[in-house]
Amino acid sequence: MAEKLYGMIAEFRKPEALAEAVKEASRAGYTRLDAFSPFPLRDVAHLLGARTSAIPWIAVVAGLAGAVVQYGSQYWMNVIDYPINVGGRPLHSWPTFIPATLIVAILWAGVATLLGLLIILRLPRLHHPIFAVHGFERASEDRFFLCILSEDPLFDEEGTRRFLETLAPQIVREVPA
Amino acid sequence: MASDVQALTSPVAEVPLSPRFGWAWWVALVISGVLVLLLGYTLMSVVLVGVGVWGVNIPFVWGFDLINYAWWIGIANGASLFAASLVLRQHDLRTAVNRFAEGVAFFAVICAGIFPIFHLGRPWLFYWVFPYPATFQVWPQFRSTLTWDFWAISTHAIVTSLLWYVGLIPDLATLRDRARRKTVKKIYGLFALGWRGSVYQWAYHQRAYRLVAILVLPLILIMQSTVAFEFAVTLVPDWHETRQPLHFVATGLAQGLSIVLLVAVMLRWGLRLERYIDDRDVDLLGKLVLASALVSGYLYIDEIASAFLADPITRQSTLTRMTGDYAGFYWAAIAYSVVIPQLFWLKVARQSVLAGVFVGFSIGVGVWLDRFSIIIGGLQTDYLPSIWRDYTPTIPEWGLFLGTVGLFAALVLLFIRFLPVVSMFETRHDEHLEKS
Repeated sequence: MAEKLYGMIAEFRKPEALAEAVKEASRAGYTRLDAFSPFPLRDVAHLLGARTSAIPWIAVVAGLAGAVVQYGSQYWMNVIDYPINVGGRPLHSWPTFIPATLIVAILWAGVATLLGLLIILRLPRLHHPIFAVHGFERASEDRFFLCILSEDPLFDEEGTRRFLETLAPQIVREVPA
Repeated sequence: MASDVQALTSPVAEVPLSPRFGWAWWVALVISGVLVLLLGYTLMSVVLVGVGVWGVNIPFVWGFDLINYAWWIGIANGASLFAASLVLRQHDLRTAVNRFAEGVAFFAVICAGIFPIFHLGRPWLFYWVFPYPATFQVWPQFRSTLTWDFWAISTHAIVTSLLWYVGLIPDLATLRDRARRKTVKKIYGLFALGWRGSVYQWAYHQRAYRLVAILVLPLILIMQSTVAFEFAVTLVPDWHETRQPLHFVATGLAQGLSIVLLVAVMLRWGLRLERYIDDRDVDLLGKLVLASALVSGYLYIDEIASAFLADPITRQSTLTRMTGDYAGFYWAAIAYSVVIPQLFWLKVARQSVLAGVFVGFSIGVGVWLDRFSIIIGGLQTDYLPSIWRDYTPTIPEWGLFLGTVGLFAALVLLFIRFLPVVSMFETRHDEHLEKS
């Protein structure tokens, strides 16, 4: 067939079957895999080697940056650029700078984490080849899918289809690119 | 062929996707819509005429606007705090109530935000509290609590709305996939941002969601304390107390929990979600409400005790709150927010819809009366006897308050109509964990 494929997808009814299939596929040497499920599956993500450690780093770096920017701007504005004597209180009244510093640190950390999440996941995205698969809409409901991507070095239309069929799926389909 | 898992969450998904929703929803939406119009009218009157339409005057420069602000922010913070701690503890209850607890927090923050902006007198200049390089070369005064409040409200609104939305994305994808009408599919699809449910996506999503939930906890405590600091840093004798933040955090938590309970029992009953918000969830929620009411009770005792230990002027002004013109508000606050919730010692009461609505409502009223008692009653006997007078809210002030209640109700009604009120993916996940 001349048409280029995005991958080959197999549908399962149980999360355990999906986990088993992912194990089998990596045992068979496939490396470019993706799995789809209607709820988080920590063990499957672990098998596929999903590493999420970037998320807390985003939060820490953004939070610290927010705190520094907020404290620094309060200091610069109220002490250096526009000093006002209010009842003889010190210009650098650091305790009063703390609440906004903490709040803005949380603001930066929270917004950066959630927006960073979307950037890491490459969302929003209007279309993806996987949505063209008939029956894929149940991935958000009660079905589990394993997709072997065509960019996998071992990918070969016939061979991969035969391999997926040995995993006892409901059905195996091609994903057009 | 419908499987177990599908049967599990389809009733939740059916609610937003059903073409009809019954007349009761329409009646409720029309009533709250009228109140929203009233809100628009009273806000316009403040803009066109000025704050003179309110009954505020020295010493009561903060009348209804700050009472209602402190009240709404209490609901927002209490509900957020509750939702965030459920996520962190991975408690079973989170599946049932987390989604709308976050929603309640977000809607309450919107209502709360209206008041501080409009009580400025010239609300169109509210952006002056933001440090931007103005041509007149002045900067905001960061030693003032009012600037802290600006950051607190905007941060709460941004972070809770983002957290709520990010939590909704997978469920919006489910709605996209289940929608039968093409336009409906497109709308949900647009908001689902192209979520595919890949396990990589799930792993990142869950990590980020939990992390931001952790961040919400300190945010809420700082924010509720900031509201209290607005009173505590003034020199008014009854307000200038280090116990204020604790009082606001504790009563605010009771209030947030009570509104979550109120919405929970009404949703359960109205949308027939007994399966998702089960008897155990409501029972647990009732116990939490009871516990938080007991903490409020402890703080009222602390208030009385610290009044007797304070200097004579502080003692007098606190005693004025308890015995003066507004004493009714003080004692009614205790009755509504501490005494009535004691009903929840009975299991029958914790599980009854009527008692849930009654107690939830009662704590809401009680905390409102408490804020009234602090903000109005606390100023009755200030240092200057020449300004000892009374405060009566005017009709535009009542309109403003009722208007925000209507806005809140309208937002809740739209939320239950168009979005899944219970997290569907969490429900599937829980069921999966239970089976394995």
